[in-house]
Amino acid sequence: MIRLVMALLLVCCVTLATVLDRQFQSSRARQNSSAGVLAALMGDSRRLFAHEFFAMADTYFHSGMYPTIFDFHQPGTELDLKEESHDKPKGAPEHEKETSFLGAPKDWMDRFGRHFYPTSHTHLHGGNEREMLPWLKLAAEMDPHEIDPYLTASYWLRTTLHKPDEAEQFLREGLRANPDSCEILLELGRVYFYNRQNARVARNIFVLARQKWRKQDATGNKPDPHVYEEILGEIVRADRAQGDVKKELADLEELVQVARGKDVLLREIQELKARLGEPKQ
Amino acid sequence: MSSSISWVTSRNPDAGNIFAIAGVVIKEMYRRKDFYVLFAMIVVITLLLGSVSFFNDDRIVRYVKDGCLLLIWLSSLVIAITTAARQIPAERESRTIYPLLAKPVGRGEFVAGKFAGCWLACGISLLVFYFFFGLISASREHTLVFPTYFQALWLHWMCLGIVVALVLLGSLVFTAPSSNATTCFIVVLGILFSGGHLNGVAIQMRGFSGALVYAIYYAIPHLEWYDVRELIIHNWPPVDWLACAGATIYAALYIGMLLCCAWLVFRRKAMTL
Repeated sequence: MIRLVMALLLVCCVTLATVLDRQFQSSRARQNSSAGVLAALMGDSRRLFAHEFFAMADTYFHSGMYPTIFDFHQPGTELDLKEESHDKPKGAPEHEKETSFLGAPKDWMDRFGRHFYPTSHTHLHGGNEREMLPWLKLAAEMDPHEIDPYLTASYWLRTTLHKPDEAEQFLREGLRANPDSCEILLELGRVYFYNRQNARVARNIFVLARQKWRKQDATGNKPDPHVYEEILGEIVRADRAQGDVKKELADLEELVQVARGKDVLLREIQELKARLGEPKQ
Repeated sequence: MSSSISWVTSRNPDAGNIFAIAGVVIKEMYRRKDFYVLFAMIVVITLLLGSVSFFNDDRIVRYVKDGCLLLIWLSSLVIAITTAARQIPAERESRTIYPLLAKPVGRGEFVAGKFAGCWLACGISLLVFYFFFGLISASREHTLVFPTYFQALWLHWMCLGIVVALVLLGSLVFTAPSSNATTCFIVVLGILFSGGHLNGVAIQMRGFSGALVYAIYYAIPHLEWYDVRELIIHNWPPVDWLACAGATIYAALYIGMLLCCAWLVFRRKAMTL
């Protein structure tokens, strides 16, 4: 009887070992990827947390004045933080209208209750933007394939916080998780162009970003056309900083095809052609 | 003259009884391990949060304050609810309630004593928690806005007063302390998260259901007023002192009302061996 039990236990052990070995191998493969241990432990649920942490960063950006799930939120509007860091802030009146979610007090209790939480719309400034960074870092760790935390953190790190090294490091982490992201490359190029004043390296990165955008466009992924315009604009600025008029002219002609404000660009093209001695069109 | 002396002599023992019962509750709190465990948890987690470095910036502090205050709120609710929920059932189970309720301790004094003890115990634990929070905050921000911190502590204590009174009433309605504690936890968290938004929900609902939700909105104690964490975390100026006083009166009214209900329920309870 004991021998039978021993044999059964042995069989169980071998079976368990074969099952666990496969689990371990797959877990190790996941750990080698950029998602790491979190992905192995939490699976897809971490994306929910990533979204929450990004919203927390936006809450901090507004110093706690933020709509809850009960408050009216206009559909299709982006988070303030996202808009601000993507260099496309809206006009002040439109922004105020969009974010005045509290409205007038509904009753005396509502009016009285407003003494106990922030009710005025403000944005962090004067270096206090650093307070959002932990939430952006956590959001990126929870979902490394979501690029907004990388772009937002990098924007504040390289602009008001003057930390280009940390911005570059964080963007490179994002790039490892999202190797085809033209937005991250655009932001990385800006670190080199605006913070390191290295126009040559910056231009190379912008050109790579343009390639990635075109590749996505060719495969039918519908990348953001505004990003393409921004990439081309940065390439033109890099050309100008390098003093390469021929390249600048070629890139400007490419930009003018997609840009919204064409008049200024067309005038610049005429000026460049005049400098190169080409006949005016 | 003689009537005033008799009034004094008949009232003084009442207050003495209440404070004697309250004193026992406070002694019970510092003899039990709950407070120490929760305080140690707050200290350890806050220090761990503070030790994390994000982007080599050691001036980031708000997430530490946020985490610490959240832990303080959770811990204080645990202390308030569990302490208040076990008071009367424990006295009944150990049968110490019978000699206590013998003359000269009345049932009203008993309820008031238990409430005062639980509330003061919560106040003492809050003092310790907020002192630690102030230390952490001042060490990172190099500044301490005393009025805001005082208001936060005071309003938090008022909120716990309503919670303790509610749980004491629950302990006379529910049979088991566990079911009372669980129900009160759900109710308190529900009010904290959604109490202030019920009016908005009611407006969107039409007819009788809307009116019912609005009635609930007016009837519930608005505990969310007493949660001024956002103001402290993001360094907003202190709350208007008149509003603070208004919230205190509002809390006092609810505490009084809930304790009266508890006394009425307790008075009708049969206390036989």
